[in-house]
Amino acid sequence: MSVCPPFAPFFGFGGVASAMILSTVGAAFGTAKAGIGIAGLGSFKPELIMKSLIPVVMSGIIAVYGLVVSVLISGSIRPGEYSLFSGFTHLGAGLACGLTGLAAGYAIGIVGDSCVRAYVHEQKVFVGMVLVLIFAEVLGLYGLIVALIMNTSAIGGDKCPTI
Amino acid sequence: MGYYIYGLPTFLIIVIALYLLFTGSGEAFNVGRFLEETSPYAWAGTGIGLCIGLSVLGAGWGILVTGSSILGGGVRSPRITTKNLISIIFCEVVAIYGVIIGIVYSAKLQSVPENLLYTPQNYFTGYALFWGGITVGFCNLLCGVAVGITGSTAALADAADPNLFVKILVVEVFGSIMGLFGLIVGLLMVSSAADFSAA
Repeated sequence: MSVCPPFAPFFGFGGVASAMILSTVGAAFGTAKAGIGIAGLGSFKPELIMKSLIPVVMSGIIAVYGLVVSVLISGSIRPGEYSLFSGFTHLGAGLACGLTGLAAGYAIGIVGDSCVRAYVHEQKVFVGMVLVLIFAEVLGLYGLIVALIMNTSAIGGDKCPTI
Repeated sequence: MGYYIYGLPTFLIIVIALYLLFTGSGEAFNVGRFLEETSPYAWAGTGIGLCIGLSVLGAGWGILVTGSSILGGGVRSPRITTKNLISIIFCEVVAIYGVIIGIVYSAKLQSVPENLLYTPQNYFTGYALFWGGITVGFCNLLCGVAVGITGSTAALADAADPNLFVKILVVEVFGSIMGLFGLIVGLLMVSSAADFSAA
């Protein structure tokens, strides 16, 4: 069992893919679901549309988290000098960012949809909506933090024995 | 119904695992050996195929959702049919991303004899193309569906009130950046992957 087997990049790239794909699932769900609510709001009160774009922006931020982690991980994968330790660590980092982004995007979508529909009837719910959306967004942020910590611990783990 | 979907594969996996264990051939389950034995061309080809296939699936899905809403709303408000073609184009762009990545990845497929194929560099390229293709494909699929749903919403809002279209278009733009992110990550993944070459 070698420290740097040739199949180690499979797991590293799996981490990159899962960070990007899973956070895109969350972002896409958040954008689409909140967009439906915003169009419903716009039919009744068009002047409130600009303020109610907040859930859509926050879903975009979830996608950016996934992009950041993907770019960071894929920058550390080099052919030939990549250990299995780094591979599994990067896989874990990618899954951490991706699955939390999925959860955060899902929450932002459903909260955004229902809150903008309430915003049509009662303008004072806006502050409450922003507070709930921030708490949902912060879930994705936690995943980003853990992914960055794991990525940092994988740096310097590529001491491959030279043949 | 859920019992069949989750229960049958689980049962089969448990039976096969226990069979391997009890007949003394538990070592046959070796993930590393599987990854080393499969040809890098298999990984690369699967990735490229899934890239273009899933991207076009996302574009088609988005177009069907948007198009049916545009035409349905156009019965009562025929003025929306030309302006809302923008939403269709946003979905189409996702397929273009898949084609671009498919062409860029296919350029790395060079023919190498079987006995010279299994080098660490070629393994790396195979895995990079596989996961890159899957990333681009799924990101474009999700982006296409999201843009399609939002485009459909925009068309119906436009039918109700013409001033709403540009504002809902902002949501669509936010939706389409996800396909762009997938493109970026797909290109970055294969930036350090060389063409398939002999030793």
